[in-house]
Amino acid sequence: MVFPTFEFAVFFVAVLALSWALMPRPGVWKPFILGASGLFYAAASWRWLLLLAAVVLVNQACAVLVHRHRADERRRRQIITLAVALDLGLLGLYKYYGFFVEELNGVLDVVGLGFPLPLLSLALPVGISFFIFQAISYVVDVARGLVTPARTIDLAIYLSFFPHLVAGPIVRAREFLPQLETPRDPRNVAVGTGVVLVAIGLVKKVAIADYLAREVVDPVFGVPQLYASPDVALAAYAYTAQIYCDFSGYTDIAIGLALLMGFVFPQNFASPYRATSFRDFWRRWHITLSRFLRDFLYIPLGGNRGGRARTIRNLMLTMGLGGLWHGAAWTFVLWGGLHGAGLAAEHGLGERRVRRVPAWLRWLVVFHLVVLGWILFRSPDLDVAGTFLAQLAEPGSATLWSAPVLVAIVTVIGLQLLPPRPLEALRLRAENARPGALGVGLAAVILLVAATVPGQGVPPFIYFQF
Amino acid sequence: MRVDARRFRARDALVVVGIAAVLLALFGGRGIRDEAKEMEPGLTRSTLTAIGAPTGWLADRLPFADVTDALGDALSPEDDLGEAAPVASSGPAAGADTTAPVDPAAFDPASIGATPTEPPELRKVLVTGDSMAMPLDVEITRRLADGGDVRGERDPHIGTGISKSDLLDWVPLAARQTRDRRPGAVVVFIGANEGFPLPTARGRTVECCGAEWAAQFATRARQMMNTYRQGGRARVYWLTLPLPRDAERRRIAQVVNAALRVAAEAYRAHVRLLDMERVFTPARRFRGTLSISGRETVVREADGIHLNDTGAKLAADLVLARMARDFAVLR
Repeated sequence: MVFPTFEFAVFFVAVLALSWALMPRPGVWKPFILGASGLFYAAASWRWLLLLAAVVLVNQACAVLVHRHRADERRRRQIITLAVALDLGLLGLYKYYGFFVEELNGVLDVVGLGFPLPLLSLALPVGISFFIFQAISYVVDVARGLVTPARTIDLAIYLSFFPHLVAGPIVRAREFLPQLETPRDPRNVAVGTGVVLVAIGLVKKVAIADYLAREVVDPVFGVPQLYASPDVALAAYAYTAQIYCDFSGYTDIAIGLALLMGFVFPQNFASPYRATSFRDFWRRWHITLSRFLRDFLYIPLGGNRGGRARTIRNLMLTMGLGGLWHGAAWTFVLWGGLHGAGLAAEHGLGERRVRRVPAWLRWLVVFHLVVLGWILFRSPDLDVAGTFLAQLAEPGSATLWSAPVLVAIVTVIGLQLLPPRPLEALRLRAENARPGALGVGLAAVILLVAATVPGQGVPPFIYFQF
Repeated sequence: MRVDARRFRARDALVVVGIAAVLLALFGGRGIRDEAKEMEPGLTRSTLTAIGAPTGWLADRLPFADVTDALGDALSPEDDLGEAAPVASSGPAAGADTTAPVDPAAFDPASIGATPTEPPELRKVLVTGDSMAMPLDVEITRRLADGGDVRGERDPHIGTGISKSDLLDWVPLAARQTRDRRPGAVVVFIGANEGFPLPTARGRTVECCGAEWAAQFATRARQMMNTYRQGGRARVYWLTLPLPRDAERRRIAQVVNAALRVAAEAYRAHVRLLDMERVFTPARRFRGTLSISGRETVVREADGIHLNDTGAKLAADLVLARMARDFAVLR
């Protein structure tokens, strides 16, 4: 079930009303919201629901055991290792098995060891990368003593809560579980903020991201050899705007829906194209993933302890694996590698030397390296990425340039460069409007956005495939 | 995240959503009804139908929906190609006492020992269809671009179907594609979303998948083939469906393929039916892998319906090889 559809709208209206009606009675509300989230997920495939249930049960068992043996360091480590291995094993099976088997079979063929490994064609369960990461964060946070084991039903709600189930944000257990301890206060709901976020998310996704994909990005990335440098460059900037609008649009809707239901999710984006360094970029882009990678990979690897070489190694490993998390392809590994190299270079140069470079020049360099990264990220394989980059030097005419496309790209990137205060003040005014005005505004936005949808409907969010 | 805005009561959330829902029902009620029609049977469709029927009824009687339609006309990226017109069937009702003459186009010249007529110079190939045509469209277009002499154009319409015509009717779409693009060859791969009821010339609708439905489907497909072949000035390469994993979908795909075989008979001189059913599902059994160059390789997506990149490459090989037999420029 995709957010910008009638079926989801019907589902959400019913769930919102019943959720607030049942909220005072947690004994009824919890099974209800779990059932609603299950229904939401089962719309994709009921089999995946069984998988999600298995993840809940296994991680709950591990969390309870690790809490029980919290005084026994060796046993505690064994249980965490088991839980993380099971979680990552499951993720690996669905997400990376085919990729690694094909690569390995290729290598075995080259060295003359024709012993093909069995091929499996497994459908990637929607949202698995997100709920597996949340499950890991739960067990590890229990092991670290940051949270106590939750009731199984609370853990099930935490992992399956439909606003963040399929594409995040990656909410930490210690952020979400306390919100289940007491019923949400029906006199203290951020309705205005929620509605405005949903409206902004819909505009970003349907009116901007999908439009840019249709008009520029998909044609050029499909067959880059048909286009010359003006169109290829335009497609690179268009994808830069598209992926931001698509993913942050999803996040805005997810956070907005949760707020309407009384729950608060962490922020996931903060004007990422404003960044003047890679470090800054990762504090602004997919914030919940970068803090997960920091807390559960970079720091356990040693972080910046142990000298410059070790820090650079840890950065490259973290970003390389972060890239691979997005999908089983060398393009994602290279994308992660590019960001790892950027972070490592900044670390190597030292903050004082970096700061000597004028801010506008730092922004220009970082922004264009980020755009280069997006070319790798969007390309289906390295061949296409290579052709795309080669076509950037191919002279020719601009066939895809149009005023709406340019306005969309400049607006998306330009708004992030403006001082944030006036925009925030404007948003706050909208958020503080009366309920009647908010309802009319929401309907107007939905009708406007729906008018731009082509006959084939709204394509899924980019991050659904991760 | 930090929330600085004013706090409301939960009741206000319901008021906001309620007002939006009422306005959407008034202005967009028809959309809910139309979307329900396009869905496969199940709980979701039943729910949307139950809501869409009264909201659509209300929207039909009030002027508000016209505003939405005007907005759609102004902002929609596509022309209105919805709601299929009933197609005259070639069955008994179409003319019990007359027999339609056989068109010479029904004969492949090779089958009667005649010299094949040389098609005009190939400049443009259109690859179209539903999601089945992806990533085949990219593969063919890329290879043509590498060749340099022929331009490939892609026009896939995800989620559509020949029997799913409320939002997009393929018969007029084929006419528009032909008129706007003038392709010398058209590659069609469609059928992931078939099995919906089809209207007949008598004003009835027939449910999938008996002979009457197959006849209606074949009639529509034949109209498209006739449009794409442009009176013989173009060649059509229509791919049959590799059978899906799911049993219900497999039954529909078999009927679709049978209908396509019947439809293509009328234009054997210009329409090439490429048998993907036999290539990807030999002995009519689903398989996710095929032996390619002696190595077992995954050729289907995990959904058990679509071809993956490798499968699309194999299909593109077959399409381009067949095209090269018709057009010297591709040899």
